Amino acid sequence: MAAIAVPTSNKRRRGGHGRLQLWHVFWIIVAVLYFVVPLYSLLQFSFEGSVNHHSAGFHWFLTVFDDPQFRSSFWLSVQIALETVLVSNLLLVPTAFWIHLKLPKLRPVMDFVSILPFVVPPIVLIVGLVPFLQPFTFIYSRPEVLPLIYVVFALPFLYRSLDAGLRAIDLKTLSEASANLGSSTLGTLVRVVLPNLRQSIISGSLLTVAIGMGEFTISSLLSFNTFPVYIFNIGQSQAYEAAALSVISLLLIWGIMIGLFLLGRGGRTSIALGATR
Amino acid sequence: MASVELQGLHKEFGNVVALDDLDLDVAAGEFVSLLGPSGCGKTTALRCVAGFEFPDSGEVLVDGKDVLGLPANKRNMGMVFQAYSLFPNMTAQQNVEFSMKIRRRPRSERSKRALELLELVGLSRQAERYPRQLSGGQQQRVALARALALEPAVLLLDEPLSALDAKVRVQLREEVRRIQLELGITTLYVTHDQEEALSVSDRVAVLSEGRIEQIGTPAEVYTHPKTSFVASFVGTVNRAEVTVLSASGKTVRWGPAVLKLETEAFAYHDGDAVTLYLRPEDVTLGLGRNGTIPSGGLFNGRVTSITFLGPVTRVSVRTEVGPVVADLSSAEALELSIDSEVSVDVAPGALRALAS
Repeated sequence: MAAIAVPTSNKRRRGGHGRLQLWHVFWIIVAVLYFVVPLYSLLQFSFEGSVNHHSAGFHWFLTVFDDPQFRSSFWLSVQIALETVLVSNLLLVPTAFWIHLKLPKLRPVMDFVSILPFVVPPIVLIVGLVPFLQPFTFIYSRPEVLPLIYVVFALPFLYRSLDAGLRAIDLKTLSEASANLGSSTLGTLVRVVLPNLRQSIISGSLLTVAIGMGEFTISSLLSFNTFPVYIFNIGQSQAYEAAALSVISLLLIWGIMIGLFLLGRGGRTSIALGATR
Repeated sequence: MASVELQGLHKEFGNVVALDDLDLDVAAGEFVSLLGPSGCGKTTALRCVAGFEFPDSGEVLVDGKDVLGLPANKRNMGMVFQAYSLFPNMTAQQNVEFSMKIRRRPRSERSKRALELLELVGLSRQAERYPRQLSGGQQQRVALARALALEPAVLLLDEPLSALDAKVRVQLREEVRRIQLELGITTLYVTHDQEEALSVSDRVAVLSEGRIEQIGTPAEVYTHPKTSFVASFVGTVNRAEVTVLSASGKTVRWGPAVLKLETEAFAYHDGDAVTLYLRPEDVTLGLGRNGTIPSGGLFNGRVTSITFLGPVTRVSVRTEVGPVVADLSSAEALELSIDSEVSVDVAPGALRALAS
């Protein structure tokens, strides 16, 4: 008969368990404080100050909303973020599909390429890109150039998300089944692969939106007044408005992310975020 | 219904010859199984027919027309894959409707046909379920219904039951055969399971190293193997190296016994070494009574192992000519125990001799 291990002392076991719980709670509190305190400070600061001897309340928020530059810079960033999502997906979804289906030997190469944007600083990228883009004046002088650059920054996030999604499905069998049933390759991509990559595309796109909305270095260097550049400029002279802008920026990005996340959950597939089934 | 001809199909992957000038004719409405061990080329042959592999040379003719120039999506062949291949984002019904949707068939027609096919495979109640809500057997049934949706010229089945448990496998293979007979569809079935191939096929083609070793009805392949590979691969077999005593008399010497072979073709000469093949069910064992040595057999031996297999029991006997395996009815085998002394005899006409 197999021996059954019995705790020698319930008291000792409970004591040890309690001590562990305390450490768990301690580290959770430390982690929460680390993230929450700056956010709380930011929020509090955005409501501080006085106007005509009264508490500011939403005054700085209203001031910001009234500023036409706020609206133009914000919509510019939204537009750039959405264009980045569009261009990235148009470029990377078919690429990832083909690499997985027809050129699996290239996967390690793509894995390597996809982490390069992590190690190449934005300033290096822009220094290299400017001489290349300058001759194309029709695009270089327009903010539409930014999505073309941000695609590079989105590459690690979107490609890796797609890669995980494609690994989670039996792409070869599904593609062959689709072809056997009369579907073209494009039809297979649209009808079979994309619905099963929905969560991967959404999670990759969420991060791409965050990049498009928050990128500062390149838009500043190319002199486009995007939302982060506007926040930075305001912050140089108007601290309260800058705090209110940061709060608005955070809420908007969280809102977009939650919206996209819920959109993804509304799908009928059971593929979880991160594209694991 | 369409006939299928594979003519001189040759395919190499690097240095490996997957198909070695393979020829095969499948008549319209026929059910032919490609049977063989892993790597024998059976799946490659099927994939050449489906359009997922392209042979280095040779032709694939469907109703006399070469289809090698057509891509897979234009060949009008229904295929059921070894891996579960239902589209996870679609219900069972949507999966079955998929090919009809691509051909832009009206919604009502699609729906009617899909439900008919799901009824055919016994899954009309599961029409709204997603693949993740179906068992493996149910998924393969839906895959079969989906493959039949466009009334394909040929049905291709690539080891569709190999991922299922034994009981479901037996049920489903019988259903596949029932549906094939009902629809009269030409079917190519790839399997490594000999029982599966023998039980459902009109003809079985046994493949080895990219070539067809033998093709014939299940009974022909089982009872009259033409090569030692077929004899060994299909079913269990006793092998013995023997010498031809008299070619004209068709007699061979097996240890102390002289056996007469009841075979029509005996293309050997006196003194030739040949291999004798004998199925375990053609071996009979005699048990000595009251401790006496049994008599009347070809030779005597001692039981070394007894394996209960349900309706039959497999008994291994050590004899002076080597080990001999016999399949007895389980009731008969009850009288035996390890070390029982038995006489070994063979059924007349059961011996096959093939060149060594």
